[in-house]
Amino acid sequence: MKDLLKALPWIGPAVALIAAVVLFPIGLMLWNSTRDITQSGLDDGGVGLANFAAVVGFQYFWPILGRTVVWVVVVVACTLFGSLALAALLNKAFPGRRLVRMAVIVPWAASVVMTTLVVHYGLEPYFGIINSFLVDIGLIDTPEGYGWTRHAGTAFAWAMAVAVFVSLPFTTYTILAGLQTVPGETVEAARIDGASGVRTYFSVVLPQLRSAVSVAVLINIINVFNSLPILRVMTGSIPGYDADTVMTMIFKYMQNQRQIDLASALSVIAFLVVIGIVAIYVRVVRPLEEV
Amino acid sequence: MAAITEPGTAPRKAARPTSGDRTRVRKYTADQVPLGSLLLRMLAGLVVLVVFLLPYLIMFFGSVKTKAEIRSVDPTYFPTEWHWENYATMWSTPETPLLQNLISTLVISLCATLLVLAVALPASYYTARFRFPGRLVFLFLVIVTQMVQPAVLTSGLFRQFIAWGILDTWAAMILVNAAFNLSFAVWIMHSFFAGIPKEVDEAAQLDGAGTFTVLTKINLPLVWPGIVTAVVFTFVASWNEFAASLVLLTTAGNQPLSVALTKFVGQYETSWHYVFGVSVVAIVPVVILFMAIEKRLVGGLVSGSVK
Amino acid sequence: MAQYKRLGGIMAITLAATTGLTACGFGGSGGGEESGDGTTLDLLVPSYSDATQGLWNDVIAGFEEENPDVQVNLQVESWDNLESVIATRIQGGDAPDIYNGGPFAGFAEDELLYPVDEVTSDETYASFQPSFLDNAQVDGTTYGLPWIASSRALFVNDALLEEAGAEVPATWDELLESAKKVSELGGGVAGYGMPLGSEEAQAEAAVWLWGGGGSFGDAEAITIDTPENLEGAEFIKKMIDEGATQADAGATDRSPLFDIFVQGKIGMQIGLPPSVGQIESDNPDLEYSIHPIPTKDGEPFTLGVADHLMAFKNDGDKQEAITSFFDYLYTADVYVPWVQAEGFLPTTLSASEQLADDEALAPFLEGLPDAQFYPSTNPDWNAADSAFKALFGQLGGDKSAQDVLTEIQARVDEG
Repeated sequence: MKDLLKALPWIGPAVALIAAVVLFPIGLMLWNSTRDITQSGLDDGGVGLANFAAVVGFQYFWPILGRTVVWVVVVVACTLFGSLALAALLNKAFPGRRLVRMAVIVPWAASVVMTTLVVHYGLEPYFGIINSFLVDIGLIDTPEGYGWTRHAGTAFAWAMAVAVFVSLPFTTYTILAGLQTVPGETVEAARIDGASGVRTYFSVVLPQLRSAVSVAVLINIINVFNSLPILRVMTGSIPGYDADTVMTMIFKYMQNQRQIDLASALSVIAFLVVIGIVAIYVRVVRPLEEV
Repeated sequence: MAAITEPGTAPRKAARPTSGDRTRVRKYTADQVPLGSLLLRMLAGLVVLVVFLLPYLIMFFGSVKTKAEIRSVDPTYFPTEWHWENYATMWSTPETPLLQNLISTLVISLCATLLVLAVALPASYYTARFRFPGRLVFLFLVIVTQMVQPAVLTSGLFRQFIAWGILDTWAAMILVNAAFNLSFAVWIMHSFFAGIPKEVDEAAQLDGAGTFTVLTKINLPLVWPGIVTAVVFTFVASWNEFAASLVLLTTAGNQPLSVALTKFVGQYETSWHYVFGVSVVAIVPVVILFMAIEKRLVGGLVSGSVK
Repeated sequence: MAQYKRLGGIMAITLAATTGLTACGFGGSGGGEESGDGTTLDLLVPSYSDATQGLWNDVIAGFEEENPDVQVNLQVESWDNLESVIATRIQGGDAPDIYNGGPFAGFAEDELLYPVDEVTSDETYASFQPSFLDNAQVDGTTYGLPWIASSRALFVNDALLEEAGAEVPATWDELLESAKKVSELGGGVAGYGMPLGSEEAQAEAAVWLWGGGGSFGDAEAITIDTPENLEGAEFIKKMIDEGATQADAGATDRSPLFDIFVQGKIGMQIGLPPSVGQIESDNPDLEYSIHPIPTKDGEPFTLGVADHLMAFKNDGDKQEAITSFFDYLYTADVYVPWVQAEGFLPTTLSASEQLADDEALAPFLEGLPDAQFYPSTNPDWNAADSAFKALFGQLGGDKSAQDVLTEIQARVDEG
């Protein structure tokens, strides 16, 4: 108890900020998920777990959940492998390296909405630059281009590509920072022992990156799961529910159908799913092992 | 954008003073690099460069096209005429006061970042260094805030800020951004603090330094890269925030760019050239900021001391 | 006002820079605090065009000059954001006093709105065209003030039709034939522009389903899944399958597609009054003409849409200020220029007479007598509206017309 009191001045401000700003809205979300709320936002009384039953009973619920898992796994995996490769390259000396490092930062500095809007604009049939380029090099034979963002499959794939693209800078730089903690002597020692570059990387460098990588992946998992703007822009014009994830579905409940009660119920489910994923991840990978 | 297209000046100048970084890199990559693999690296670097800049080049070229050209069914790669005046006219568009939006974005992001830093630094240091009852509960609480999508919480935040009388003020969004980004900051800095051997602290404490002195004098310089990463992360996330700003800030001038930009996507026509122009203006200062601290982002300070 | 805000911004930056965090709390120029003793009216409106904000600012300046004790706060949002903003504000107990939007039956059902006759003078109330008032009533009480209206008509690219040797159609079969001929021109040209994307799928749906003799129901019941409606939906599918439309009809939004029409790549598309202004400003050389919407058997019909103003009962002490605002707003000198600038149709008798000579509006004003409206006074219309936006585009995919209608009806029935 005395230890806790001693800790208070250090962690107190953080606890206060969370308690003040986050707890009430979360509580309201939990409360709303058990209420019947009209379209204009008035509370018509409690309905127990009926909202949850309605959300899970929705005929597209399970495909949407499955797609969410695909979304998180593919985006995070591609981001991780892409970042490891990028970081390895950017950690090597070559003329122009600084320039390339700067370029890799740009998507991070640009707002996600802006980046997504540009790609979406480029993919438009008739006036999009990317479509026009693909027509010019002969990959597409309809003169107005292909409706990339108008088909569930291609729109979802492009959304994943954009998500990877905007996640790369942070992950790359985290790994790059981790690479700096790899003692040069260790690497040199391995070299002197005759290990090849690739072997050195896998046996000496990669284990040292464990802590940086595992935290970066954890942050990416949560971030990608919660990501809304990319999917909203890239798959927003797809009719039906063939390109939705849990997050866009929450958004559809909230904005399109104006069912705050169902949106809250699905949010609670989403919350539990993230906790589940994170718990499994923490169990298996133990990113906090040395903490 | 400007700094990138001047490879001769800025980057090289910036590269010089990073002596620690430089020498270490040279050590790591061994003495002689065969020319073949050097060319290979440069080729790979070029591909990366093109891929990462392409969307922003499209954005830039689009921003100097006319409204008619950017929506033409016969799209042009480069502007037929360079309409630099777009960068002047976009500030006085009827949709939204963009200059005020830019200022709002800056103030909100900067203050939120400062607040996060002030709150997260002591917390992450203490949890990494000391065991106390409730430590894991605290860390769990922190990460839980990251797992909810703020968009869903907007109605609760709205009610709360009305009660506090700070609805539609920058303060509201500063608090929201700070609270929702706290966890990243705590976790990142936490892992950096945890990476410093305890012996460093203990040695200083033997010399008679208190906890606070140990933090500021001994640890801070070592976790600098972690702090920079946390700062950058918070800043960028606040810069990007959309869902909460949309409902919590109702006066046009108080709204950040992320919200303001959506007003150009009208019911009948989209002024893409303005969307892109504003995007360029918003991106450039952040890119410059990032370039300025890039070497800190990957600073070799930690490796320098952990021997 | 603007001066004050900028000053506030500069001050805040200076403060933030010098004193750091402490300044942050006092940053924004808060809209929450009331200034002076007078009444403050909060106005929440959507953006119809680039000009909307300026038009409202003029109205407010004029009103405040005549009513110095009333201050009006304007908030303009894009249509995309409007409904989430209003929902959040209502849930937070901070509804605007005056709101410009589409459906209002849900608000009326929740007893949030003033009946119109309580917030307008008798003269203002009497000036509305009766057909619009009928369409603004819930259970016999008028809750929405008809604000601006539109009707639809077929825009035809004369040059393309001539090149293809096609006739201006009056019936569906003629439309299919003409559109196919135009599509066969190739080179990225499409015969008929069919926007079933989420932006305004309910409008294109109404054009086809009602044109085949169907309807979406009335104030008592929403009926989507009917044999009459099925006919229209199946013809849409036929148009798409036979290549008479542009690609990906199911996910194409109306505004960007009309942009393509303006640039001469589409033979025919349904347009609105403001479309005339758009063509004039973007491509005045386009050879086009405006015709009645083709229907199954050539019967004249058009889809009418009216947006409404509504007054929320907040504290109850603003009724008088709201009344004087509405009365000011609907005087001919204020109202007619507003409607004209946005290129829509007026909802009052006097304004209609004044604008009757307007050439651009003539084809649309002509159609108004045959106009049919969405059943927007039915509280379930909101659900139907969003179901059309989300689901109707599936006609462009593999789903059968029957399945799509069944799915929409099911969504409406579950509320």
